[in-house]
Amino acid sequence: MFRQAFRQVAKQSSTVVRRTYATEASSTSDALKLSLALPHETLFSESEVEQVNLPSVNGDLGILANHIPIVEQLRPGLLEIISKGGETEQYFVSGGIATVQPGNKLTISAIEAFKPEQFDAAAVKNLIADAQKRAASSDEVVVAEANIELEVLEALQGVAK
Amino acid sequence: MFRLGAAQVARAQGARNYATLREIEMRLKSIKNIEKITNTMKIVASTRLNKAQRAMAASRVFNESDAEFYANAEPETPEADKTLLIVVSSDKGLCGSIHSQVAKAARRRSEELKGAVDIVTIGDKVKQQLLRTHGDKVKLAFNGVGKEAPNFYEVSLIADEINKLGKYENTEVLYNKFVSGVAFEPTTFGLVGAEAIEKAPGLSKYELESEDTSEVFAEFSLANSILTAQAEGYASEISARRNAMDNASKNAGDMINSYSILYNRTRQAVITNELVDIITGASSLD
Repeated sequence: MFRQAFRQVAKQSSTVVRRTYATEASSTSDALKLSLALPHETLFSESEVEQVNLPSVNGDLGILANHIPIVEQLRPGLLEIISKGGETEQYFVSGGIATVQPGNKLTISAIEAFKPEQFDAAAVKNLIADAQKRAASSDEVVVAEANIELEVLEALQGVAK
Repeated sequence: MFRLGAAQVARAQGARNYATLREIEMRLKSIKNIEKITNTMKIVASTRLNKAQRAMAASRVFNESDAEFYANAEPETPEADKTLLIVVSSDKGLCGSIHSQVAKAARRRSEELKGAVDIVTIGDKVKQQLLRTHGDKVKLAFNGVGKEAPNFYEVSLIADEINKLGKYENTEVLYNKFVSGVAFEPTTFGLVGAEAIEKAPGLSKYELESEDTSEVFAEFSLANSILTAQAEGYASEISARRNAMDNASKNAGDMINSYSILYNRTRQAVITNELVDIITGASSLD
């Protein structure tokens, strides 16, 4: 039971009660099937993996096989996919929706996903400086857009090497 | 115009046969040019088709998770006063009946719902067709999209504008589904608003941690559906254009054949006539 809903973030108090809903999580196969899709590319299509750590707006989640079905909005952050062999693959995602479907399937629809080594730390720094300038503007729309950009970029800063 | 002018000039010279010969020659030339154009368009469409199909395959997978969520949650279609129809097509013609098919489907759907619809069009062609019959219902029209495979940024801008229209508990996205290289089919994505998702009987299968997840999900799946609809529509359009241009090139080829035969015959007839004239003239001198 605990393995089923293993969580990294201490949000236990509310989840303990809800965990009783996990009746639908029965499945035929023991492996977690991951589909990671971008609008223009499919990175994983029902591949069997060991564990997926995803950054949700409510904190980071570790998804193992037989997880309860959930719908989570992703926040900008690092998505970790641990394959059957134990190797870890990392992707930085800017946002999206992750859904654990009944039947041991995890579908992640992300807008963009890139590996951390594909980012240029210097470019990120420049963009942050640029966005900070715009965040100080008087136009509300510009400020809102700049703040979203900053959120993504600051998450990215920790990831880019 | 030009052809007519040439014919008149020729007729003024008095040589009737020669005029038709010139006419046929010009006709033949213009058909040959048209064939060149249609053939090139066909080749362009064939090369684009692969790319379009790849984009479509990716968007199908992207949309799958939404589809599965809807299938499991089984939200009931709420009794809404008005349904929002989003009709997805593109700006360019010369691709067979692709735009009129989806416009027809939109008209049919509007009739089924007894006219209680608001229409949003994506693409100029379908806008023109729907404005003729449902001008008062078209609330918003987008153009300049669909020139190539859709990207998410464009789609979210569109979805944003659509959200500004107000809340619709019932939204339908009409598009041409790519069935095969020769067939497409106007199809619908049904979407429901956040409230209907919350009331969905199957929702208890899922655990929703934050309160606004259903709203975020509703908005995301709107953008998602438009993206898939555009990708499918684009692939259908390209393949329809390839087929239309293929047919046009074939027809032009047939016309070229029959016109060259006609041209040669007429030329032969003119020569024979002239020969007859010369020979009769010569023999009358004897």
